[in-house]
Amino acid sequence: MADIRRQSPMRFNTGPCRTEVRDNWTVTLAYDDEGDGPWLTDLAHKIRWDLQDGNIDAVKPSGLTIPASPGRCTLAGGTLINRMNGTQASIYHLGAKAPALPDFAGYTDVSESMVFLALFGPGVFYIAEKLTNLDFMDPAGKAPFLLQGPFCHIPCQIVILEKTPDGSGGFLLTCSRGYGDSMVAAILKAGAEFNLRPAGENRFDTWISCLSGEI
Amino acid sequence: MALTLTCPICGKRNGYEFRFGGEDKGPRPPEEGLTPGAWCDYVHMNNCTAGVQKEWWFHRDGCGSWFTTWRDTTRNLEAEPPEANK
Repeated sequence: MADIRRQSPMRFNTGPCRTEVRDNWTVTLAYDDEGDGPWLTDLAHKIRWDLQDGNIDAVKPSGLTIPASPGRCTLAGGTLINRMNGTQASIYHLGAKAPALPDFAGYTDVSESMVFLALFGPGVFYIAEKLTNLDFMDPAGKAPFLLQGPFCHIPCQIVILEKTPDGSGGFLLTCSRGYGDSMVAAILKAGAEFNLRPAGENRFDTWISCLSGEI
Repeated sequence: MALTLTCPICGKRNGYEFRFGGEDKGPRPPEEGLTPGAWCDYVHMNNCTAGVQKEWWFHRDGCGSWFTTWRDTTRNLEAEPPEANK
């Protein structure tokens, strides 16, 4: 039987300089000239779950507690849990390897149906404010926190992982798979004046490790 | 002035993120003894209040919540916070 090949919904014009095949995904580890930031990274190969249950507070994905309030997030051990509403949470596995989907009807693996990207680095929120009227820099929002709303007029889940008063930091964004190419084109166009460039997974891993206090 | 609405989950947002769900007409009438005329009135007839009325809204581009809130129809402004926030 032939191996399946998983295809990211996003395409960059720049060719990767280092790739590896992981779980049938071709993962870009680095690009030739990634510049000094900000960066845009395709994370389509990272496993994401949707969790829905009437008693969601009793569920412990990867042994972690789901935040009590909608909009709050927990990041620990490479797993990010985002509370969406009273009965729903999204779970992103940002590490190299994700656990198997738990044998519980409330979980759905949505990895292949969604765009998943990271936008991070210096001045990244100045790019974001060209594309959405959501307030990423809301002083009341303590990172990490979740925003659900339009970005490039597309309904998205956005998790702000880091923000500083000078508009730097980073966030993750998911939306329906069909918008992948259009989303990338719009973000790269808006980010051109800030020298936004595609970056490989290695640069994203370094950033996440810094946030998690692992390095 | 553009309409803004307060979503119980996401907070104050642009009105274009929401879909209007109609007037809040209270609970569905009990089926026992329900006449076709009474059901038709419940489904199709509206008060069309000129002033503050209670309405259903759906946060289509955001969290996907359905909620009730109060809007002044003469000024197209949210008159009170949503019921879920009270």
